[in-house]
Amino acid sequence: MAGAKIKYTKTERARQKKILKVSLRMLPLFEAMEKSLMSTINTIAERIEEIRQVIEKNKQAAEPWVAVMSDSHVDIKTFISVNKIITKHIDVAGVRVEQYESVDFNVMPIEDNTPLWVDDAIVLMQEQLQLLAEIECLDEQIRLLEDELLDVRARIKLFENRRIPNAKTAIRKIGQKLQDDERLTIATAKVVKMTQKEEVMV
Amino acid sequence: MSNLVYLMCSLPSLKFGEVPPITMDEFTNDAKDQLSAKHFKLLEPVDIYQAADSDGKLGLKSIGTMLDELQDDITEIRSAKTQNRAPNLTRLPHAVINANPLEREKLIMQWQWQELDTIQAGEVFTFTEVMVYKLRLQILSRLHSFNQEHGSQVLASVVNPSKEKEE
Repeated sequence: MAGAKIKYTKTERARQKKILKVSLRMLPLFEAMEKSLMSTINTIAERIEEIRQVIEKNKQAAEPWVAVMSDSHVDIKTFISVNKIITKHIDVAGVRVEQYESVDFNVMPIEDNTPLWVDDAIVLMQEQLQLLAEIECLDEQIRLLEDELLDVRARIKLFENRRIPNAKTAIRKIGQKLQDDERLTIATAKVVKMTQKEEVMV
Repeated sequence: MSNLVYLMCSLPSLKFGEVPPITMDEFTNDAKDQLSAKHFKLLEPVDIYQAADSDGKLGLKSIGTMLDELQDDITEIRSAKTQNRAPNLTRLPHAVINANPLEREKLIMQWQWQELDTIQAGEVFTFTEVMVYKLRLQILSRLHSFNQEHGSQVLASVVNPSKEKEE
């Protein structure tokens, strides 16, 4: 509003009143949206933390036997790889995000002469890869929600610091100007009337 | 015969669980130098990981039998796991069922080592002894390859390849 010229008309005052009404109605909605986004982001962050703990727990459980993975007879890397992370679109707090569904693995068939530890390693690796894929999806969700949160906060600031105060100021100024104009008109009319009366008396 | 004696006398003794005193390449070179072409050709396909070579020939019947029986028990363990029942093992010790994967491999190798003891019993300076030596060296080399740090790196390289690259 700074620098913008106010039109001191009744139409402009009506327009500013409409802006104020809409802004006052929208502000709580954006505030609720901000709360919802923040709460959702926190929930997702907690879920990521839970998954990280499970990953760590699995890692610790495998610690006593992880040495077998360096078996010179087997290259475990050739047995398993991620083909695709399967996700689905969902709306979280009004934002369209990808939700983790599952991981499609390329698992080489285990032959009869394959050492038994390969079976356990594949199970462990599949679980860890699934958990990491879920974290990847959740991280992306947080990124999108944080972008939205920034946008919502910018809107709240816009309403709180500019639109609402500016509309209020404009309404007040227009009101004062219109009142001044009205008084001036009345005063002028009175002066004219008195002048006319004096002329008649003379 | 004298070549076999010379070869076996020149090879360091092997003990389960210890670091292999020679590499497989060193053994192969020694064997190639000392053995006749016929014996060396027979030794080449002898492998602890397969009962028969690509032509389906066995290095030694008793070794083939041992490896076949091991195979049967491993297959039984896998089937039992799929069917959610206790495995019915014929040769392997029952301790392998509940052992962790590393201990299980060690137990299996220890069992193989003991079986090779039986196969080798009474065989002094024979070709069987050379074959058993090769199989034991394979067992020790594999056992020695089990390394906590390297194993963790292998796991990380599969589970988190991007992180591995960054590091």
